[in-house]
Amino acid sequence: MSTDLDLSFVDQCVEQIGRGREAVIPILQAIQQHYRYLPMAAMERVCQLTEITPSSITGVSTFYTQFRHHPVGQHIISVCHGTACHVKGSELVQDALEYHLGISGNGQDTDAQGLFTLEKVACLGCCTLAPVVQIDQVPYGHVSPARVPEILDDFIKHGKKSEIQIRRQEGERPAHIGEVRVGMGSCCQAQGSGSVYHAIGMALEKSGAAAVVKRVGCVGMCHQTPMVEIVPPEGPTRFFSRVTPDEAGEIVLHHFQPKGLIRRLGRTAARWLDRWISDEIGLPVERRALDIAQGPACAFLRHQIHLATEGNPGADPTDLDEYLRHDGFKALRNCLAEMRPEDLIEVIRASGLRGRGGAGFPTGMKWAKVRETAGEKKYVVCNGDEGDPGAFMDRMLLESCPYRVIEGMSIAARAVGADEGVFYIRAEYPLAVRRVREALDKCRQRGLLGGDILGTGFRFDISVKEGAGAFVCGEETALLASLEGKRGMPRLRPPFPAESGYRQKPTLVNNVESLALVPWIFRNGAERFAALGTPTSKGTKVFALAGKVRRGGLIEVPMGITIRQIVEEIGGGVTEGRRFKAVQVGGPSGGCVPADLADTPIDFEALSSVGAIMGSGGLVVLDDRDCMVDIARYFLHFTQDQSCGKCTLCRVGTRRMLDILDRICSAQGRRGDLEELESLARAVRAGSICGLGKTAPNPVLSTLQYFHDEYVAHLEGRCPAGKCQDLIVYKINDQCIGCTLCAQHCPVNAIPLTPYKKHTIDDQLCTRCDTCRDVCPTGAVYVE
Amino acid sequence: MPTITIDQREVVVPKGATILDAAQRIGLEIPTLCHLKGYTASTSCLVCIVKVGGRLVPSCATVAVEGMQVESETEEVHHVRRTALELLLSDHVGDCLAPCHFACPTHMDIPLMLRQINSENLREAIATIKQDIALPAVLGRVCPKPCEKGCRRSGADGAVAICDLKRFAADQDLASLQPYLPARLPDTGRSVAVVGAGPTGLSAAYYLRREGHQVTIYEQESQLGGRLRREFGADELPPNVLDAEIATITALGIETRLEMRLGRDLALDGLLERHDAVLIACGAVGGGTVESWQLKSTPRGVDVDKETYATSRQGVFAAGNAIRTKGLVVRSVADGKEAAAAIGQFLAGSDVAGAPKAFSSRIGKLTAEELEAFVAGGDTRPREDPHSKAAGFESTLAVEQAGRCLHCDCRALHTCKLKRYAEMYGADPNRYKGERAVFHQDLRHSMVIYEPGKCINCGLCIEIATLASEPLGLTFIGRGFDVRVGVPFDRSMAEALGKVAEKCVEACPTAALSMRDDHCLCNVQILREM
Repeated sequence: MSTDLDLSFVDQCVEQIGRGREAVIPILQAIQQHYRYLPMAAMERVCQLTEITPSSITGVSTFYTQFRHHPVGQHIISVCHGTACHVKGSELVQDALEYHLGISGNGQDTDAQGLFTLEKVACLGCCTLAPVVQIDQVPYGHVSPARVPEILDDFIKHGKKSEIQIRRQEGERPAHIGEVRVGMGSCCQAQGSGSVYHAIGMALEKSGAAAVVKRVGCVGMCHQTPMVEIVPPEGPTRFFSRVTPDEAGEIVLHHFQPKGLIRRLGRTAARWLDRWISDEIGLPVERRALDIAQGPACAFLRHQIHLATEGNPGADPTDLDEYLRHDGFKALRNCLAEMRPEDLIEVIRASGLRGRGGAGFPTGMKWAKVRETAGEKKYVVCNGDEGDPGAFMDRMLLESCPYRVIEGMSIAARAVGADEGVFYIRAEYPLAVRRVREALDKCRQRGLLGGDILGTGFRFDISVKEGAGAFVCGEETALLASLEGKRGMPRLRPPFPAESGYRQKPTLVNNVESLALVPWIFRNGAERFAALGTPTSKGTKVFALAGKVRRGGLIEVPMGITIRQIVEEIGGGVTEGRRFKAVQVGGPSGGCVPADLADTPIDFEALSSVGAIMGSGGLVVLDDRDCMVDIARYFLHFTQDQSCGKCTLCRVGTRRMLDILDRICSAQGRRGDLEELESLARAVRAGSICGLGKTAPNPVLSTLQYFHDEYVAHLEGRCPAGKCQDLIVYKINDQCIGCTLCAQHCPVNAIPLTPYKKHTIDDQLCTRCDTCRDVCPTGAVYVE
Repeated sequence: MPTITIDQREVVVPKGATILDAAQRIGLEIPTLCHLKGYTASTSCLVCIVKVGGRLVPSCATVAVEGMQVESETEEVHHVRRTALELLLSDHVGDCLAPCHFACPTHMDIPLMLRQINSENLREAIATIKQDIALPAVLGRVCPKPCEKGCRRSGADGAVAICDLKRFAADQDLASLQPYLPARLPDTGRSVAVVGAGPTGLSAAYYLRREGHQVTIYEQESQLGGRLRREFGADELPPNVLDAEIATITALGIETRLEMRLGRDLALDGLLERHDAVLIACGAVGGGTVESWQLKSTPRGVDVDKETYATSRQGVFAAGNAIRTKGLVVRSVADGKEAAAAIGQFLAGSDVAGAPKAFSSRIGKLTAEELEAFVAGGDTRPREDPHSKAAGFESTLAVEQAGRCLHCDCRALHTCKLKRYAEMYGADPNRYKGERAVFHQDLRHSMVIYEPGKCINCGLCIEIATLASEPLGLTFIGRGFDVRVGVPFDRSMAEALGKVAEKCVEACPTAALSMRDDHCLCNVQILREM
């Protein structure tokens, strides 16, 4: 314990944040940002200065995964273990990182030089780029074990890029100025759109071309990122996909003439010279110009209906004027001017909207309950604690359409009689937090939030609270506990938050997507919303389509569309040569729907009848190389890790289920294990207090139901999908040309270097890192 | 005043009462571990689950509303309660009964005896011993001491000298003016013939007589003692010790018929006519002889049911070397006691199941680090054996050596709710056994011992400390499976609990928090009351 730690920052931050008990999480976050971990002396100092007790600060700081109690290396490597990353090999990436950094994993998480600290994260929400690794703020997509050294190298060389201010245009664009739009959602950035944005800015700056670069929200086509849209002053808009920073300048200069003759000449000469030297012919970028009207992009978009995600592509997410120009806040204006709160609830009721957070509770009923509960003070809370690995629509909505969610919240507040709102956004979404804060500030400046909204006397304001890394906080009572500065432990309902919620006041808790749909419903009418979908599930649902599908991304589809349509028509099916096996719907609370039930429609009831749930909208496609026992184990590992630890059936029950699955996956399965697993799963489902525990057994029960034979195969010592490391062997067949690539890349020297001869793998040394199979040019490495 | 029904029984409860309250009103015991009247229901243990409207809910926090129909005593509800208990037990790093208890065939309460010797309550010590061993002075001399192999300290700095300490207590008793005589239940009017007066027969006679049955011992020799007189030399087992110990048994009022041999002077049929049951404890016996008694035999003697010692003939039991040819004396002593229990059940006309097996959660083997820390927390004096083998321990040394016991048995053996309900619901502590947490005892408090492995995370101590505004208090540390109750900032329990220590110990449903022995001899007090 360092006694010479300067604690003056603690005093300042307490001064700034507050001394109440609710301030504990923001204070801890500030302390951690400053010291990079939570020094005990700093926490003790907090207790001296505030109402926060030692018990509270210790309990809270050890509950949330964000908080670190030990110093860390200079840089933090976060390995995403979301569902999509898992099925694409995040375990192998983790192993490779540990190996290259010389980290043992048993309690040790930092390399010997103190340069890198390795951290597992539940989901970075960049599922379509899986597997994803983030070093400090720099995300890397499509990582493989073989690429690990290269990535570490790249980070050390280029990691800390200085932020350069780039010309940005807000408000109305003059008619003669062109526009270059770059998708800047978190996943686009993971794919390098930050550098593209930067390169375009630099190119425009240098050339003085008559165009501005603009960051826009997510368009959902994650498989095509980074995407650049060229909007010339006249003529059609053009899209370019998978653009690299080098190409970006070319694209821009191809479309926009540089200012002034000298610059233009200079540019032409330079380009001619470049070509002459590099022997490059033509514009390399043309081949990736996208045509939205036909081809794969068209197939991707054809079945989609964008309500929650409406009209995104052109908009700068935090440009309020742009939102207002596109009918923004029209619904709120109308609600305030012409409708009574009761009427608002009636509209939502008539629309048939059900909560998009997972359980599908009728939104209108929830609103009515809060309205009916007597109380001077009421709250509206936007649940943005999207913790499901494999789901990222809430992040995308908050990053790309913050105003729409704010508008929805304001209408909800009006309907239920609340004057205060809170955004609870998970800590893993820093960009969303930044954009929502920016949007809230702008709303306040324009009188869209505050004491007299739009001159109607309606009073409402919203604050932002950041989560600190706990999946269970997506459960509404846990979320409210977290808002109050407590450990995020769910409690028994009743009382429901509508009766006694945040600070014991009636509270409306709605999910981001639900709130984002509200303005659309008011602008277009409940009937139009209710016209979409099935008898019990109305409107649209946003899904994060990822996994073994060709076109992954964020999609919004009408309820009632079948799983098959999503996978095959929108997603383009599984990779060539592979067989579509199942879809995991609903994340850790959901289930695996086998391919032969793929005609199940997207509908709350239909999905639960096949053992899945709508959930928050993760949709991970699995092919014949995915082991269903491993998938069940993966989710159970997640839920048992995220269990708050309160009730016995969940705290111990999920761990014991995991023990059994671990046994089965490592060839230690015993007779009776499957029966024991199922019986325990049913008890945990029946007896747990909160949604997490009640649904945690779903992935196990659904795979036991549909893929029982795979479980049996594991008990017999076989993993048919070739995934479970203890049940498989890596081998090399006669297609080996003796190129030695595998031997060179093998991190543990399990492959002797035998040039021009068939290589062999020493099974005793082999760690099943998959690198050999990855690098083999002839596909000679196989798994048995 | 809402009216609800629990298993079809109507009950009227005050407004705001929970289902648990309602059940108490009609005398129905719904188990609960984490709930304590007057404190917020944490709904964490889930053993109080009941079914309402098709859903399982914790009865401790579910408010009774008019017309509610509650199912409590159904197989479905019991299954979930049992599962919750089994899950808690799977993560319970604690022994109800000490390893020595299981190592000794008689399952004597060794730790209790040691504590009694250590506090110089020799009268209580001999009572504890004789609860399970009828011949302690004999065994104290001839036993190969399996108990000491089970002692946790045997893996570290030497087992506690259990056997010699038992002998010490027994010798002191025999040397006293009035050797210990247990209370005897009123006569039952039933009588048992015990054939053979070796360790098995003597032991069986002792426990049968204690239960109020008439006992007649038939012995072929002219003296009681059987193989005890043949197998050991006088320096090992002095005849006067044997005589004195046998006298404490016959003093209970046992008829002895010497020089009577089954098959020669006696017939089994005749014994069965005169007595309500017969125990054959004649020592090793050949198959031919057994069959001549019209009993089934095995290569090792009489064929009996392993649990009940019942032979193929109604009312005839056999134990000791008569069923196993060659066994330790301590095994015979244990057999005699267990057979007596089965015979007692037979005489009472109840289900003959044999001596009940004690429920116990068990840690199993400790790691070297765990053991080292455990021993370091106890009395660190080394093992010392009696200076003279013939004389046994002298008093001061015995008292000292008894203090080496680490108290592996649970301090809440008789108060633990987890154990109570586990027994009630037939929970199997090994059903979900997985990798266990580290065994640890926190002894930094002057009065209280904290064993995190026994904690079920009910949170009562945290709440008590918070309500009492303890400046430091307690908190949950961590999340999920690894969550545990701890003291903020790595400080000590003493600082955390302050004035609420006793209150917390009282509220603790297990022995996660317990009083140090010198602060509470509750076990002894409870035993006295029993």
